[in-house]
Amino acid sequence: MTTVLAPVEGAAVGLAAVPDPVFSAGMVGPGTAIDPMRGPLEAVAPIAGKIMKLHPHAYVIVGDDGKGVLVHLGIDTVQLKGKGFQLLAAEGDRVTAGQPVVAWDPAAIEAGGRSPVCPVVALDAVAGAVTGVALGTVHAGDELFQWA
Amino acid sequence: MGERKATVAAEVGLHARPAATFVQTAMKAPMDISVSKATGGDPVNGKSILQIMGLDVRQGETIVIRAEGEGSEEILDQLASIAATP
Repeated sequence: MTTVLAPVEGAAVGLAAVPDPVFSAGMVGPGTAIDPMRGPLEAVAPIAGKIMKLHPHAYVIVGDDGKGVLVHLGIDTVQLKGKGFQLLAAEGDRVTAGQPVVAWDPAAIEAGGRSPVCPVVALDAVAGAVTGVALGTVHAGDELFQWA
Repeated sequence: MGERKATVAAEVGLHARPAATFVQTAMKAPMDISVSKATGGDPVNGKSILQIMGLDVRQGETIVIRAEGEGSEEILDQLASIAATP
């Protein structure tokens, strides 16, 4: 069982609330999404492991058991080409759960006309594998869901 | 073993929507699907979004998709088409 932590502070709203059908329909995988607090934030690693992929707007951490968790910072934020995101770790780094990975400001994303909502997705997981999904207010590092 | 080469056309590369669509289609195939970069490197499992994201295919890069068995030609055509969709 993997405990996945909230990467940012905000409100856990579920994947269905993500304004992108790839995430809302669960095509990427099961999980949830956080509508983040507006203001400068440090997005943290949801699990301990290795940073397999680090883009300014999204990252994947893979645990020692091979489970990968995707954190996507806002929707369509790939179009920003890194503007407004500051990397606090490097691809290939080993991180502890809760360690800061990217600094960003959801308010700036929103001001640019994009949704700052953050999908947190269990990759290659079947729908029933994710349980205990938090709903409502979460702080970065709080338990977000369990992945069997 | 059938194979198709496809040049990834999406601006984001084989990530996000293109990756999810590709993997969802690959999952429907009864046979194994492997994907590698045309420039070389180890093939990855085309049914794993984690592995496809890890392959990190950028816009303009060419991938080689392989499958074998009944219906593989059709599924290869579908996957190549997804990869080549802008």
